[in-house]
Amino acid sequence: MNGNEILKIENLTKKYFNKTALEDVNISVEKGKIYGLLGPNGSGKTTLMKVIAQLHKQTSGQVFISGNPLSYESKSSISYMPTENFLYDSFKVKHAVKFYADMYKDFREDYAMNILEEIKVDPEFRIAKLSSGLNGKLKVALALSRNTDLYMLDEPLNGVDVLSRDTIMDLITKSYDETKTFIISTHLVSEIEKILDSVIFLKDGRVELFGDAEELRLSKGTSVEGLYKEVYKNV
Amino acid sequence: MEFNNNIPIYLQVIEKIKQDIVTGRLKAGDKMLSSREYSTMLGINFNTVARVYKEMEMEEILFTKRGLGTFITESPERIKSLRYEMAQKQIDDFIRGMEQIGFTREDMIKFIAENK
Amino acid sequence: MFNLLKYEFIKKYKLISITLISALVLNLYLLTRGIAGSSSFLLLFPLVLSVLYVSDVIRTYSDDLNKKSGYMLFMTPNSGYKIIMSKLAAAVIEGIGMLFIYFLFILINGAFIIYQTRRYVDINEVMNDINTLLSGNIGINLGHVFVFLFAVLVFVIGFIVTVYTAMTIRKSIFSEIKFGGFLSFIIFIGLNWALTYVSGEFYSIVSPQYNSFVNVTTVSASELLVIMFPVIAVSIIQSIILTLCSGYLLEKKINL
Repeated sequence: MNGNEILKIENLTKKYFNKTALEDVNISVEKGKIYGLLGPNGSGKTTLMKVIAQLHKQTSGQVFISGNPLSYESKSSISYMPTENFLYDSFKVKHAVKFYADMYKDFREDYAMNILEEIKVDPEFRIAKLSSGLNGKLKVALALSRNTDLYMLDEPLNGVDVLSRDTIMDLITKSYDETKTFIISTHLVSEIEKILDSVIFLKDGRVELFGDAEELRLSKGTSVEGLYKEVYKNV
Repeated sequence: MEFNNNIPIYLQVIEKIKQDIVTGRLKAGDKMLSSREYSTMLGINFNTVARVYKEMEMEEILFTKRGLGTFITESPERIKSLRYEMAQKQIDDFIRGMEQIGFTREDMIKFIAENK
Repeated sequence: MFNLLKYEFIKKYKLISITLISALVLNLYLLTRGIAGSSSFLLLFPLVLSVLYVSDVIRTYSDDLNKKSGYMLFMTPNSGYKIIMSKLAAAVIEGIGMLFIYFLFILINGAFIIYQTRRYVDINEVMNDINTLLSGNIGINLGHVFVFLFAVLVFVIGFIVTVYTAMTIRKSIFSEIKFGGFLSFIIFIGLNWALTYVSGEFYSIVSPQYNSFVNVTTVSASELLVIMFPVIAVSIIQSIILTLCSGYLLEKKINL
């Protein structure tokens, strides 16, 4: 195990009774990098993140965070943003902020409030009444306001209008520093590829491709999006 | 700045900085933005910018002053040689392109001389 | 733990306020119907309240396990044991709160009834009168009522724990097998049957010791407590064991 490795996934398999979501996945994630977890729907991206976030239990295989096997304490080192609308409907935005502040020691409340002002989300608004775009921005804001080691964002650009996508990309690059690692899953490859260090392509639950974005551009002479289209052309 | 995602981004940033230096937009001794600021501004990966600065430092076009940041070379000779390198590349591309459409060297020189 | 409990109640406060206000309104209306109205309220209220209580307690855990909003809770760095214990603690606090509310309503309605028959109200007199009323008619006093209600609380909590455990099993080890829901329900039935069986066995082993004081026609409140002790103890022990099992499953095997 290497000292620069924030996350290690070993032979991870997740089976449901009628399908296999992840098959023998082996990934090593280096600290300080931004990873794109790419693949079409059903390729296993969300399942992988949920296993790391410990919302799902794997069928076999291991996951290590900073060398330690997963435990409830690992959750302090991970800021996970699910793709679904998971915030309590009955809460107002400010209650959700308070919840995060109470539950996570590393949560930066002022930082969060600043972001909310910037992205024009009113703290007094009820979460149930938020449009999908504002809800998407709120989720990202909450996840990025945590000051931790590993950030996993599941489809942060989903359901968000084109202008707001730039805002979200901006929020991600602004919150980055070399102590932080990001894993961002998306199928909107062209929008995100400029900020990626490395890419992980999942296909039918297996790792299809893994590499440095710039190296791939150099060796394949194509953008990550071009590569994506090639890898998944029959899917 | 718009990027072409089909070629390595760091190469495009290096090209841009070189352009800015030879056109005078960036002057000898000017301070560059920090990797962080520059990457946020361009909307690209931080490590990509770090790589740009590192590569250009190896080419002696940029240099780092410990604790103060990254700067454009103060050497007018280096900037002159940079302009020359870039011109050389333009010429190489031009010659290659012209040869592909059947021009000889004499044809090319004549063409340029007569060019409005 | 405090934060977990805090949010349990923050989410419930609307429901609780509405329930209390409706109860108050209903009570005031029934008071206009005199003593009959007042006593019917005292009889109705605990029944309705218990149903609301049990369904609320089950629903909050079910929502966390089955809805996406459950992610909020399960993403927090709390061990499975802490989570299930906070759920249980919230259920206990809510239960005690309900009992307390019921007592308040008893006092209000009791005072009203006494007032109707005697025309003046004095707290101590009221308390004594309630006591004599109960001791006179049915041979029990306030102490018996407390013991009885305590036992009821223990059994209700015990029941809730079996429901929680079955739900936890459904969302962990049985989450991916066919008929997982049905099997979890079987386990739920089984746990309740086992509790009854073990309590029965334990009681028959221990009961010969009670012959010394069960032979009197009236039993004091503390004697009642001692008699009920075996069933109460078995229920508490089972609750603890099941809570630990659920905590383990939440910690290691959860599959939302």
